[in-house]
Amino acid sequence: MRSKTLKLMATLMAFGILSAACASNDGTSNNPQASGDNTDSGECQTPEVPTITFAAYSTPREVYGKIIPAFQTKWKEEHEDQQVIFQESYGGSTTQSQNVVNGFEADIVALSLAPDVDAIADAGLITHDWTSVADKGIVSSSVAVLDVRPGNPEGLQDWNDLTKDGLEILTPDPAASGGARWNIVAAYGAALNGYAGVDEGDTAGAQSLLEGIFGNVTVLDKSARDSIKNFEAGNGDVAITYENEIFTAQKAGLEDEMVIPPATVLIENPVAVVDANVDKHCVREVAEAFVEYLHTDEAKELYTTVGFLRSTDAKEAAKGDGDQFAPIEHLFTVDDLGGWDSITEDVFGEPDGIFTKAFAAVQG
Amino acid sequence: MSTQAVADRALGPPRARRRGLPLGRWGLRGLAMVYLGCAIVLPLAAVLAKGFEGGLVHLKAALASPGAIDAIKLTLITAATAAIVNAVFGTLIAYALVRYRFPGRQLLSAIVDVPFAIPTLVTGVMLVALYGPASPVGGFLKDHGFQVAFAPLGILIALLFVTLPFVIRTVQPVLTELDIAEEEAAYSLGAGGWTTFRKVVLPALRPAIAAGTLLAFARAIGEFGAVVIIAGNITGKTLTAPVFIFQLASQFRPEDAAAVASILFILSFVIVLITDRLINRRGTKV
Repeated sequence: MRSKTLKLMATLMAFGILSAACASNDGTSNNPQASGDNTDSGECQTPEVPTITFAAYSTPREVYGKIIPAFQTKWKEEHEDQQVIFQESYGGSTTQSQNVVNGFEADIVALSLAPDVDAIADAGLITHDWTSVADKGIVSSSVAVLDVRPGNPEGLQDWNDLTKDGLEILTPDPAASGGARWNIVAAYGAALNGYAGVDEGDTAGAQSLLEGIFGNVTVLDKSARDSIKNFEAGNGDVAITYENEIFTAQKAGLEDEMVIPPATVLIENPVAVVDANVDKHCVREVAEAFVEYLHTDEAKELYTTVGFLRSTDAKEAAKGDGDQFAPIEHLFTVDDLGGWDSITEDVFGEPDGIFTKAFAAVQG
Repeated sequence: MSTQAVADRALGPPRARRRGLPLGRWGLRGLAMVYLGCAIVLPLAAVLAKGFEGGLVHLKAALASPGAIDAIKLTLITAATAAIVNAVFGTLIAYALVRYRFPGRQLLSAIVDVPFAIPTLVTGVMLVALYGPASPVGGFLKDHGFQVAFAPLGILIALLFVTLPFVIRTVQPVLTELDIAEEEAAYSLGAGGWTTFRKVVLPALRPAIAAGTLLAFARAIGEFGAVVIIAGNITGKTLTAPVFIFQLASQFRPEDAAAVASILFILSFVIVLITDRLINRRGTKV
């Protein structure tokens, strides 16, 4: 018996050593490609099989599952059968951004909002002006909307309806999810534009609207997708989320109903090449070609049909398409509100941002 | 057949029969059953039911997703490696803690439990801060060919961290109860330190080591928090099974997620059964 036990332990050991070897092999064999020792040689030589590490936020996974193979085929045809390998990573937008800053060597980032890309630029890893490319670096867009129970039993139509007593609201935590900021910017912008029962330009009114809404928030989820899942599980009366998320949920067979407030924000999702990493891996040419491809009609078609994302052009997006995308009365952009820099300060700044104050008041 | 049962058995049979609690012959057993049923069996049954509600449809769909098989492989390899490395070092640490008196022993003993106390997400953040390529340590290792964070090695290190206490905490009590006279007898008969450890101590510890290793393995298979932070989650390369399951759930594919989760669960369960049997047989024969 004892020898049997011994044998088992020995087998386990051998397996362990073997697998340790495998594991470290995995790590090192990819290293020459991934960490690009090519930088030493001075001249950057594109590898025979270029490998692109692609870090994206989680929502558009299905879309990139279609777009990437389409690009690979196109590249192969145009470059003497050269294959491009994509290593895809999906996660929360802000997490991905932080990982890249911490040394995750993504060649291309596709994130939920511009400040997450700016964080990478601030760390010195993106050195070009990423907003100078086509569509200002934005590849897809959606709008902030309300996800309500079938038949809209609470009769919710506008942002100020969210302030009524006893309503239970789900929205992601702006501290944890960069994407959550879209929802706040939507209500804030609507108020400043004279909608949602607030006079145009009345910042105090905007603040009390945010106070009213966040006073009713019962669950601060860690991401927009978690909010919907939570809502689907029976929690709350309404989830603040994005149009494309509701379409995705409906396609998955869930009974979510969408309400688009009269005034809401155009959610713009940026993509950027990470200069420091593409140069290290010598894949700039392929990476830039991929980002360019994302702005072609072919890719846009996929964003719309697979990802349920609207046009990146605000006017086009507001008109809708007469089919799945409804027209929106007043669709504003972050630029209309003065851009992310001023929003970050005016709305989320410590301690005087409008949301910061509203949130503090609610938490009492 | 819980993991606790395995651990209990590894610690040897109870020294003395205690009188039962005053709940009647079936009261306590009933309570235990109901509690275990609600806390463990029901949720597991729900996952199994969901994962296999359409036969193998969901499992096939899940396994057809890009990176699925790689994720399961990666999880098994890293978990097994972590468990075995910790079996070796855990046993040595336990031996040092029990057999030697040295300054800082109490502190070391307390440190062993730290991985149990720290939220695993914090572990992940901590390890990235230390081993991230942008940090001094991570940068140095990377320059010498070892990428830790956002590579399989980082996953292994995270798993080593979270599973460290298992072998130590199962081996330690057995070692404490082990009669030191046997070791002294071996020494006086001329056996060296290593021979004594191998021929006298190790055989007695074997079931405890096996139990601790398997618990560590089972725990490592399911680790999420630390791994999701440090792995980089590249499909087909550093995406582990638990993170893959989480991603399936996020894609409104709860059934597919449940199917893969069931596979992991069944695997862990079989491993626990094997250990249990192994220790049981040994217990009756010796």
